[in-house]
Amino acid sequence: MLEIGVNHYLILSGLLFSIGFMGVLRRKNLLMLFFATEVMLNAVNIAFAAIGNYYGDLSGQMFAFFVIAVAASEVAVGLGLLILLYKKYGSLDLDVISSMKG
Amino acid sequence: MDAILSILIFFPALAGFLGFIVDKNSAKVYGIAVATIELLLALWLWAKFDTTNGGMQFTEKVSLISDFGISYNVGVDGISLFIVIMAALITLLGIILLRPDTKNMKNMIVSLLFLEMTMVGVFLTLDAIVFYLFWELSLVPMLYIIGAWGGPTRVYAAVKFFLYTFVGSLIMLVGLLSMAYLYHDANGVWTFSLLDWYTLPLTETQQFWLFLAFFAGFAIKVPMFPFHTWLPHAHGQAPTIGSVILAAVLLKMGTYGFVRFSLPILPDASVTFTPFIMVLSLIMVIYTAMIAFAQKDMKQVIAYSSVSHMGVIMLGVFAMNAEGLGGSVFLMLSHGIVSGALFMLVGVIYERTGTKIMDEFGGLAAVMPIYATVFGIMLMASVGLPLTIGFVGEFLVLLGFYQVSPIGTILAATTIIIGSVYMLALFKKSFFGPVRHEKNLGLKDLDKRELSALIPLVLITIWLGVYPNPVLGPIDNSAQKILVDMENRAISPATKEAIILSKKEAN
Amino acid sequence: MDMNMESLVYIALFAPFVGSMFAGLLFGNAPRTHLTGIVASILIFVAFLASATLAYHVATVGPVHVKMMDWITIGDLSIPFGFLVDQISVTMMVVVTLVSTIVHIYATGYMDHDKSYNRFFSYLSAFVFAMMILVMSDNFAGLFIGWEGVGVCSWLLVGFWYHKKDRPFEENPSISPSWAANEAFIMNRVADLGMLVGIFLIYWNIGSLQYDVVFEAMPNLADGILVSIAIALFIGAMGKSAQFPLHTWLTDAMEGPTPVSALIHAATMVTAGVFLVIRSNPLYSLDAVSGVSMFIAILGTFVAFYAASMALIARDIKRIVALSTLSQLGYMFAAAGLGAYWIALFHLAAHAFFKALLFLGAGNVMHAMDDELDIFKMGGLKTAMKASYWYMGIASFALAGLPFMAGFYSKDAIIETAFNEGTFIIWGMLVITAGMTAFYSFRQVFFSFHGEKRYEPLGFHPHDMYKYVLIAMAPLAILAVSFGWLMGYYKEFIYGLNESVQYEMSDHTHHLAIYLAALVVVIAIGAIFLAWKKYGGEGDKAWKRDEAFEQSFIYKLLENQYYVPKFYDEFIVKPYTITSAKFWEIDKAMVDGSVDKIGRACLKIGDTTRGMQNGNLSSYLNWMGLGALILVLVAAFSTITTESIVECLRAVAGKGE
Repeated sequence: MLEIGVNHYLILSGLLFSIGFMGVLRRKNLLMLFFATEVMLNAVNIAFAAIGNYYGDLSGQMFAFFVIAVAASEVAVGLGLLILLYKKYGSLDLDVISSMKG
Repeated sequence: MDAILSILIFFPALAGFLGFIVDKNSAKVYGIAVATIELLLALWLWAKFDTTNGGMQFTEKVSLISDFGISYNVGVDGISLFIVIMAALITLLGIILLRPDTKNMKNMIVSLLFLEMTMVGVFLTLDAIVFYLFWELSLVPMLYIIGAWGGPTRVYAAVKFFLYTFVGSLIMLVGLLSMAYLYHDANGVWTFSLLDWYTLPLTETQQFWLFLAFFAGFAIKVPMFPFHTWLPHAHGQAPTIGSVILAAVLLKMGTYGFVRFSLPILPDASVTFTPFIMVLSLIMVIYTAMIAFAQKDMKQVIAYSSVSHMGVIMLGVFAMNAEGLGGSVFLMLSHGIVSGALFMLVGVIYERTGTKIMDEFGGLAAVMPIYATVFGIMLMASVGLPLTIGFVGEFLVLLGFYQVSPIGTILAATTIIIGSVYMLALFKKSFFGPVRHEKNLGLKDLDKRELSALIPLVLITIWLGVYPNPVLGPIDNSAQKILVDMENRAISPATKEAIILSKKEAN
Repeated sequence: MDMNMESLVYIALFAPFVGSMFAGLLFGNAPRTHLTGIVASILIFVAFLASATLAYHVATVGPVHVKMMDWITIGDLSIPFGFLVDQISVTMMVVVTLVSTIVHIYATGYMDHDKSYNRFFSYLSAFVFAMMILVMSDNFAGLFIGWEGVGVCSWLLVGFWYHKKDRPFEENPSISPSWAANEAFIMNRVADLGMLVGIFLIYWNIGSLQYDVVFEAMPNLADGILVSIAIALFIGAMGKSAQFPLHTWLTDAMEGPTPVSALIHAATMVTAGVFLVIRSNPLYSLDAVSGVSMFIAILGTFVAFYAASMALIARDIKRIVALSTLSQLGYMFAAAGLGAYWIALFHLAAHAFFKALLFLGAGNVMHAMDDELDIFKMGGLKTAMKASYWYMGIASFALAGLPFMAGFYSKDAIIETAFNEGTFIIWGMLVITAGMTAFYSFRQVFFSFHGEKRYEPLGFHPHDMYKYVLIAMAPLAILAVSFGWLMGYYKEFIYGLNESVQYEMSDHTHHLAIYLAALVVVIAIGAIFLAWKKYGGEGDKAWKRDEAFEQSFIYKLLENQYYVPKFYDEFIVKPYTITSAKFWEIDKAMVDGSVDKIGRACLKIGDTTRGMQNGNLSSYLNWMGLGALILVLVAAFSTITTESIVECLRAVAGKGE
């Protein structure tokens, strides 16, 4: 039986990150973008926790907690903004809300 | 007066700040007063200067950023001394020549005083970073002078002048930084002091790349072919005072850079690059002289002739003997005086007629005899007539460079032919023949204001042509010192062979 | 050396300068006043007296060498303002100041009505000053000062009437005074380039520019260097002395006022080249440079013949005299090239006297004919202008080399030298040229003073010059007659200088000398007679224009100066102008254009990439992702070395290793 090592966690983290990254690139709906960023953040969290554990150093896991906290507050502010945006534009499609054209 | 050099550098700037509160109508008088004091200070420096010493004198050093060895470090030798005096003189005469009805006179005076600070600073600084600061700062007042008082396409010309020289000096900055880095690598100390850098041995590859980096900054400033094209635009659009200072002093910063940085820091690369510099300089001398001949605008003739003469100066810098190097420093002075005067003279006729096109004139010699005489004297100095200031430098440069390359010298010496071709053509078109336009018959000859700016230049032209030794002596000492240093530091035998030391020194 | 002589040297040198400054600085803009002319003339005369005294001193005591001050000192180079008065330079000084004095006095009359009278004297005296520096300097750099100085003064004086406008070449071959002045200056500069190279060669091989040092060191130099120096210096001499192919400026320089032509373009400045060769006699007499010397002789002979041929048909009275000057300069070079330096110098002096006289005579004619130059419009002037007629006649006799006149001794000695050297072709050419010289000189005399009064129908009322001017010309006439008688004394005088300047005919030549001289004289008299037959008659025998001849090829060839000016115009001036214009185009379009292109490219890139900034968050994110990817790749590849890969692998694979 294969032992689950740090590499497996890192690969998982990489895969999750890529999935999130693709989401950020491809999705047009702002809400979906938020989900995608959450996925990415959590991918990083896994990596932090795994490497922290691997080195026997708690700071990795501590960092993961910080990230979770920041992500939560970000979601709170972000969702508020999304609601306002939706009220203004009637849509959350990125192609519609492009007022910053250079 | 221990801090004479700092006073020389910062007095104009301080006076410039005070200039903001001076009454608008007395701005010009204020400018003249400040510039006169500055010139007197510079002359005082000369009086106190030890003419037998080729090294740096009156040095001051204040540490600025000690962690990186950046310090305010100034000093003067025979080479910078006279360029500083010339810069002060040209600024004074330029201010005198300003028309009393110049718009925004106060801003003009303030810009000129700031410009004077940067110019004097560049020539006196011995710290690479402070040198670079002054070097770049000098662009700003000039940009403003061209941009605010220039001709119709002044913005294009000013931006071109700024960006072009700026790009070059950024590359130079990279060179300066890597030089400091190399010094740190070797000695474990950060320093930007030139005198320290003079002691750092460099491999030929390092010298090669550093030379190119310095070259980018200096060559654009000189301006060397093919980086010269900002100059005709700048001159074409700049007001008279701008052209005068640009041609007389700012261009000299480039050649001075070669003398102060490239030669002593990179002796081997300087010798390696001599053929390359020679080819570019010869193109400058001949090609731009021919372009000067094709011009219709009097000011453009002088502008292109500047490039052509700067080519001769470049040859002298790389002659690797005291005759050539000293001659080229002297030629910097003489070109400053002569081209400054010529640009002033073009300004005089432009003020009267509103045109610079030579075909519009004709017969001016009869209408404005004093003007024609002064122009004639400066023209003869420009074509290098003996007993004028123009001959001494040109003769020495060509004499010195002959030792490097006879063929190159013969080609460069064609400047005495093609130089007289475009200058005499200019003179004939503008001053000889019948007067072309009726309205030109009533032109007034030089007035007191113009004469008081031009007569000093005429006197210097003749004085230094007949008796150049008071100036040549200190230049000679410092030039020989540079050569001796180069010889001592050179690592390849070919370099040692190329550098010809005076037999007087050797014995 | 006593102080007296030293101060005399300075008086001789600076008196003309004082005169020039007096006229120029004090009266430059003032209305014309005779004061300037008188003061300038007196000061030149003072210089003459000083020179003459110095000549006596040189003859009795020896050369005077003074050093005034240092001029340029740098590196190993040290050039003083030093002056050497020896046999050669004192000869030049006396000739220059004597002719100048007379020309100055002459000009007070000739320029009488010119509103720029003061300016004229300022220039003329400045010229004398520059010429004195040229001949007196004790080093090559000092010589170069004078060399360029006379060039500038010549430029100023040829272009003296600068207000005249350009006319096409067909109408006036010299276009305009200002054009001719520029041509003279530029062409001289071409030659000066050679001279400069000579100076550089001397400096780097000898380390000094002082004549005494240089000439002493020369025998030790390698042959190749000596030849290069000799060639380079001679190129300089060719320009000033208008030798082929740098000769076209001299005839065009006749646009200047006639006193200028007499002084600068006949007696003094144009002989500077000959002077240089004579001055450098220790160099040119070396065996190593015998080839160059022979070339000088051949070129001189060629120019003598070439110029004389053009003079045969010239119509412009001043051009005829100018061409004869050119031809006589050829004689001088022939003599100098063959090694007879003192004979060349003697001919130089004799020529200065009679040619100045000839020019001043021509000036009288012009003055009388309201500046008309065409001899076809003159004739029979001898009744109206008796004194000028005599002067011109004497000068022409001297030029033609009739017995007991100055030219007879000096020119004959040159022809004899050619015979003595065994260069019979040169000798033959010179004899033929002597015949041509006699012919064209008297053609001009007969045209203007004899024959029908062709000017009458044209409405001229000729009158002779002021009496005092005519009297002032007398010394030149006396010297034109008698200078040759001094040849023996002069030889003794100059032999005191050094050995290389000495030249003696062989016994064989000596025996034949009388026959050789007789031959030349017979040819000259024959030519004069021919000229008389053709141009001197009146009534039925009067000269008639030969239209057919004027259409012939040979006439056209000579009239157009062998098409040399045309050649220069087509193959030098025009291509230069066109190339210059092309270069300007290239500079604007390519050199500057590529700079602008870089600028525009930056703009374009900015403009194109601006599209990224479309306000669409999703595409921003795409760009951001791409950027991040690139950064990661850059970071990865820039650190990837074999070591870093190993290290990376170790880190990833765990420290369990």
